[in-house]
Amino acid sequence: MATIVCEALTKRYGAVTALDALDLTIAHGEFMVLLGPSGCGKTTTLNLIAGLEEASEGRLLFDGRDVTWLPPHRREVAMVFQSYALYPNKTVFENIAFPLRLRRTPRAGIERAVRAAAEQLEIAHLLDRRPHQLSGGQRQRVALGRAIVRNPAAFLMDEPLSNLDAALRLSMRSLIKRLHHQLRATFVYVTHDQAEAMTLADRIAVMRGGLIQQLDTPEGIYERPANLFVAGFLGSPPINLIEGRIEDGAFRRAELRLPAPRAEPGREVVLGLRPEDVEAPAPHLVPLAGRVELVSPLGSDTYAEVSGPAGTSLTLRVPKGWRVREGEGIEVGVDPARLHLFDRATERRIA
Amino acid sequence: MLRLGYDERAAALLVFPVVAVLLVVAAFPILYSFWISLHDVVLTRPLRRPFVGLDNYLRVFADERFWIAVARTTVYTVVTVAATTVLAVLVALLLNEAFPGQRLLNALLLLPWATPSVVNGLMWKWIYDPSYGLLNGLLVQLGVLERYRAWLGDPDLTLLLIANAAVWKQMPLAALLLIVTMKAIPEDLYRAAKVDGAGTFRRFLHVTLPALRPGLMLVLVYETMISIRHFDLFLIMTQGGPGDASFTLSWFIYVETFRSLRFGTGAALSYILAMATFLLSYLFIRFLGRRL
Ligand SMILES: Nc1ncnc2c1ncn2[C@@H]1O[C@H](COP(=O)(O)OP(=O)(O)OP(=O)(O)O)[C@@H](O)[C@H]1O
Ligand SMILES: [Mg+2]
Repeated sequence: MATIVCEALTKRYGAVTALDALDLTIAHGEFMVLLGPSGCGKTTTLNLIAGLEEASEGRLLFDGRDVTWLPPHRREVAMVFQSYALYPNKTVFENIAFPLRLRRTPRAGIERAVRAAAEQLEIAHLLDRRPHQLSGGQRQRVALGRAIVRNPAAFLMDEPLSNLDAALRLSMRSLIKRLHHQLRATFVYVTHDQAEAMTLADRIAVMRGGLIQQLDTPEGIYERPANLFVAGFLGSPPINLIEGRIEDGAFRRAELRLPAPRAEPGREVVLGLRPEDVEAPAPHLVPLAGRVELVSPLGSDTYAEVSGPAGTSLTLRVPKGWRVREGEGIEVGVDPARLHLFDRATERRIA
Repeated sequence: MLRLGYDERAAALLVFPVVAVLLVVAAFPILYSFWISLHDVVLTRPLRRPFVGLDNYLRVFADERFWIAVARTTVYTVVTVAATTVLAVLVALLLNEAFPGQRLLNALLLLPWATPSVVNGLMWKWIYDPSYGLLNGLLVQLGVLERYRAWLGDPDLTLLLIANAAVWKQMPLAALLLIVTMKAIPEDLYRAAKVDGAGTFRRFLHVTLPALRPGLMLVLVYETMISIRHFDLFLIMTQGGPGDASFTLSWFIYVETFRSLRFGTGAALSYILAMATFLLSYLFIRFLGRRL
């Protein structure tokens, strides 16, 4: 187990700055998820922590010890890859045993550790197979097995579930969560799937362009996005963003008016309204009316594309039990406390 | 009668010329030389060529020169194939890394391969030359050698020196083939092995080498097939000598056929060599291929 501290960690590839002075402290036993769009530096961060790439600047500390220049095999971290990276010529048993063999673990110890890991991952019946005889989910379990036999200080996972189909991804997700509970080790998990990030993480670091945009618990990131990028990146369907101004304690855009008592007047802002933050109209709610353009039923929920006031186009979750039809009018209630306001120039959240 | 659709008929028509040419230039000589190997064909007595069954083959097996040739061919082939393979792996490992000048080196690598083998033979013959050879000059100037030596005249060295010339020419293609195989190894495997704690040598042993197996087999089969039949280098450099030091099977075939003009036994020898090549390749594929 380990506390991992990145201090102004920077990685440049020629003119490209893949990671820009990253400061990140990952607590002992924490499940940290790095979330962000393609090319934002997630893999780079993981490679630096693993020692697969050398930092251009900054320091990396494990439990207070400077490991910035330590080679991968002296860092005691295990890694799981999107491509599984199993040794194709070795059996499942030998794949899992490989790190132990390299450490000259006694034969009996290897046997015991591999069996135990295989039991835990429910792949004990596959030990004699070779990787090409396994399904994707089974392969990723073997890769997990190879990581856990070593009892590493930290687990680094780079989009481990991205190559699996949706159903399998769900069950593997809970398997990984269970492993984290059992092992109580530090996990650093890279994904660009927000649902994965939300369900797994103790804390999420949302990244863009080599910078951390926000570091918070999943609830914190969802409830209080620090800027427009984070607000837009999390949530499905994505948050509705409406440009406007603050005038006498309200957000204004043409005839649209929503209370915003704490914002300073005259400010150019962007208002964020999550599709799921609308309800049936009620006295304590602000009404919002529009015309339904498109209905998308998803089974559990139904979403409607609504052309709202002031020329806005909004995606709204239709309140439970309602029947809506395209071309008809709709009126919902909005809780002003659940609205998000961002400064239009800085894109930052207005508290 | 086989019924052909329009496409098949057109295809047959288009393929026919090639098949005809192949029949004339490939199938006919193969069958004709087999016919010769069953007859006592001697060019000094062109009109009488009696059928002798397997006599030519039996005569060859009873000839002690045949067994000398088998021994020389074996040594030459084993040395050439082993050296080519090992060097090719090393060169491929080197050229698979990124370093300044790597592209240039990659291009230079192909130079020996592009050299015609007669030119290659002449070049090495000059290098080994007893009176003005580069090797002598170099070693004497470096002080390794006191005076010039007749390299190819040393029966203990001849085969090895010819093998060296062959390796120089053959290694590039083998290395190229292995580089291509190496390029196909996923980078993640190396990264996983690094994190698992494998150093450079272990990564080679556990990731590179297993992945190289198909390429290595191809190299082994191909190099064996061509080395066992090498002829041009022997013709140019030593003509089987000194004594019988480089008296290989293909040289024996040449001497028997074109110097002694005994086409019957020459053809029988050719068939034996062809069968040996075929058998070796089969064994390679059978026993190495199974573990791919
Ligand atoms: N070896 C390299 N050489 C040059 N640039 C690189 C290299 N590796 C990464 N980069 C650049 O660094 C940036 C970050 O890359 P990184 O692989 O960390 O992204 P990522 O967040 O993992 O993206 P993805 O979700 O697509 O895997 C990208 O702009 C990428 O082009
Ligand atoms: Mg990545």
